[in-house]
Amino acid sequence: MSESNKFIFKKYDANTSINRRTAIITIAKAGLFSILGARLAYLQIVDKDKYEILSDNNRITHRLLEPQRGIIYDLQGKPLAINRQRYEVVIIREETSDYIKSIENLKNILPDVNIDTEKLYSVIKKTKKFIPIKVLDDLSWDQFSRLNANIHKVDGLYPQIGFKRYYTSGQSHSHIIGYTAPLDKKEKDTNTLADLSSAKSGKLGIEKAKDVSLRGKLGNKNVEVNANGREIRELDRYESIQGENIQITIDSDLQDYCYKSLNDQSGCVAVTNIKTGEFYALVSSPSYDPNLFSKSISSEKWNSLTDNIFKPLINKSISSQYPPGSTIKPFVALAALENGVSEKREVYCNGKHEIKDTSRESGIKTFHCWKEEGHGNVNMNEALKVSCDVYFYQISREVGINKIAEVCKRFGFGQNVFDSFYEEKKGIVPSKNWKLESIGTPWMVGETLSAGIGQGYFLTTSAQLSLALAQLINGGEKLNPTIVLDKDKDNQKSQKISLNPKHLAIIKKGLEDATNTQGGTSFRSRITGNLKMAGKTGTSQVRVISSQEREEGLKKNNELPWEKRDHGLFIGYGPINNPQYAVSVIIEHGGSGSGAAAPVASKIFKYLFDHNLNLKSKSVSNV
Amino acid sequence: MFSESKIELTIFDKLRSINYFLLFLICTIFFIGILALYSISNGNFSEWPIKHLQRFILGLIIFFIVALLDLKIIFRFAYLIFIASIVALMILLIVGDEINGAKRWISFAGFSLQPSEFVKYTLILALAKYFHSMEDYHENFISKLIIPSFIVIIPVAFVVIQPDLGTALVIFLGGVSVIWISGLNYKYFISGILGFIISLPILWQYLKEYQKDRVFTFFNPERDPLGNGYHITQSKIALGSGGIFGKGYMEGTQSHLNFLPEMQTDFIFTMFGEEFGFVGSIILILLYMALIGIAIRMALTSKSLFSKFLSLGVCSVFFIYVFVNIGMVTGLLPVVGVPLPFISYGGSSMLAVMFGFGLLTNCYINYNTTLTKGSFI
Repeated sequence: MSESNKFIFKKYDANTSINRRTAIITIAKAGLFSILGARLAYLQIVDKDKYEILSDNNRITHRLLEPQRGIIYDLQGKPLAINRQRYEVVIIREETSDYIKSIENLKNILPDVNIDTEKLYSVIKKTKKFIPIKVLDDLSWDQFSRLNANIHKVDGLYPQIGFKRYYTSGQSHSHIIGYTAPLDKKEKDTNTLADLSSAKSGKLGIEKAKDVSLRGKLGNKNVEVNANGREIRELDRYESIQGENIQITIDSDLQDYCYKSLNDQSGCVAVTNIKTGEFYALVSSPSYDPNLFSKSISSEKWNSLTDNIFKPLINKSISSQYPPGSTIKPFVALAALENGVSEKREVYCNGKHEIKDTSRESGIKTFHCWKEEGHGNVNMNEALKVSCDVYFYQISREVGINKIAEVCKRFGFGQNVFDSFYEEKKGIVPSKNWKLESIGTPWMVGETLSAGIGQGYFLTTSAQLSLALAQLINGGEKLNPTIVLDKDKDNQKSQKISLNPKHLAIIKKGLEDATNTQGGTSFRSRITGNLKMAGKTGTSQVRVISSQEREEGLKKNNELPWEKRDHGLFIGYGPINNPQYAVSVIIEHGGSGSGAAAPVASKIFKYLFDHNLNLKSKSVSNV
Repeated sequence: MFSESKIELTIFDKLRSINYFLLFLICTIFFIGILALYSISNGNFSEWPIKHLQRFILGLIIFFIVALLDLKIIFRFAYLIFIASIVALMILLIVGDEINGAKRWISFAGFSLQPSEFVKYTLILALAKYFHSMEDYHENFISKLIIPSFIVIIPVAFVVIQPDLGTALVIFLGGVSVIWISGLNYKYFISGILGFIISLPILWQYLKEYQKDRVFTFFNPERDPLGNGYHITQSKIALGSGGIFGKGYMEGTQSHLNFLPEMQTDFIFTMFGEEFGFVGSIILILLYMALIGIAIRMALTSKSLFSKFLSLGVCSVFFIYVFVNIGMVTGLLPVVGVPLPFISYGGSSMLAVMFGFGLLTNCYINYNTTLTKGSFI
């Protein structure tokens, strides 16, 4: 231990001691400063590149630009689905010291809007502070500009402009055009817009079928942002690309007219150009407001739509399947003709047709004609005209179900009309194999009889009926059913459906007589004048009538509850001399084809004869 | 009571004796502060720089008043000044303005002062007087350390409970530096450091949550890059991306886009380093080194022990300010909230530092003055 260590303080040579200690402390300070210098050299020279990248990442933010959705035009070039500017307000909590004050100020600026502050505050509290939260949506331009003028009073609130879909044509077009809504969970992986918080996709109709073309491509921009995420400066920008505009074959005025002709009854209409396969109308009734889904829909409203027995949300023209009833008869007749049944062949109708049925006590099963007292002797022309069931029971038995099924399939039954609508149903054409495969039991003779008058397992859709009739009446020209005009697609080489013109002539005559001669099933709905329509009514049962019920006397349709009444159907074409259009009308539980469906079809044909749609149509250039 | 100084200095003698090179360096560093604040205000002189200038002018007035006072009066009232500052700290605990959960400011007549800034210097005054007046250095009594220990521990304790750990640390180290210079045996320092390390786990329990967080974050900033680590991470990014020559004056993206927290106060060096790069940072550090070097040289000219202890203490406190601040923004030290003298925006620290340099200059002017051992008053 040296001398100095004996003392707590060393006063004996104070100045020497102080100088020495000051020297030590000064050297220490210089050393510490050197450490700072070295540290700075490390940060600013050695690690410079790393920090430069981090700094750029900090200040440059990638923002997505929402593309505008393609516009949907009708056949005449009238816009049906357009984009409107949507004005909304979001709040970013970290950009205001007092969000409650900001919201209170917002309320003062826009006293006419309702803000559920309690709910909003709880959302704000739960959400991360830098995530924008929607405060108001769908402001009017007036409200939006008022807010912008007072923006300094509402810290943390940002007015934004986006797009919303707007449908111009009201309820008549809702089903075929469809609507858009935010992406489903499943879509998040596949949709190219999924990174966009406001992304929507088509959920039904054309909006869904052509979603990929309509949605467009995302743009993006790099912006310099401050630490709060506020944009300071745009560095570069790649514009979004608007989705393809689409022109559809629907004639908006005709669609409207058909919808009104249904007069709020539950039903559907399809109008087809029998030469081109273009669908001019695909109507489903009743309907809903297509702009309902651009805002979030209340559960009350939603339930009233889903619980409605008329099923307004379903596009009945392609998604609802009905037994075709007597509208299948022209095709059954064709099957008979092709199998050697002569048009002159007469069947005696006494109102019923009996077959052996060992499962019953009586050993027989009786099939009734719609006319209880019978039609007497009928040939094919008469059978089509008066829609005699007994005639068709007889010839169906002779021809057999497989032959009937083959003819029906040839004209498009049992297959999707369009390939693009996921909501489309393809119906059922029953046959022996079909039953064995899908039900697992062998075919029974009685089922052939039911199928011969379009009952039993038979199911079809309005669009299918219209297409099948069009392909029959145009002489077996296979159509490419279209709803979206595709200018690039060349007219495909026409395929022929095998059809003997003589057979066609017989059937056409039967249908013309059914509408235009006294006693025909749709005579009351005939169109007088140069241009006439022809067609076949159908009344399809939705219930089994027991023999007991039959003995007690058949109840009239209007005595039954609505959902047990018969469907009324009609298929027709016109003008009869130079057929242009095929139309199918189905009135759900309308009672009968002649009473409910044929008058609607008649009105539609009159409209079609007055307006030549082909001449009116003009193409829309894709902007 | 006082010994007569050999020559009675006139006010002009005193003014002539001021070390104007020291004042020039102070003004240079202050000017850098104005530049930095002007950049932070995005070219708006009236936001930060004008107030900074006003405070500097007020600081200069204090500097001259303190420098031109009679050293004997300062010596005489050294304890009283110290006690007054402690009283201010006590009052602060009762009536202080609570900002961010800490009571640091006391306001009166429109001014907001941070007494803890001044305590750094009053503590040195008290210690200098004590060691100057200590009777017999040859006596081996550890009891000589009792009073200095209280002089250090009392203000540190008051500042710790504000709570303001950073300032407490500066005060503590400033006091220790004076004790060191006064000649306390090395072994007490060594045992003191060992004792501190051993008692760390106990002290740890008394730290506030946020202080513990800061220490955790210091050792691992990536642990919470958006919370407590945010400051230090962003500060390092700003400095590093400045590179050798910087991004250019008023071109610092980190600072101008508000990524840097507390830019105008504790993190102002970061902004300067981002815009002026390594070269600028080193020049600034060299300026501080020169200032401290000159101050130490001035200190050593004094004849009285009081003047030496006081001047060297002022140098140490100033050094600790600079080192802790730059160490903090470069990620070498935990974030403790210590301003960068003459550059950081903040009134109390500016006035306190000028008060300190006023004391230093006073000692320098009166280098020849000898002082007798002082009594309490």
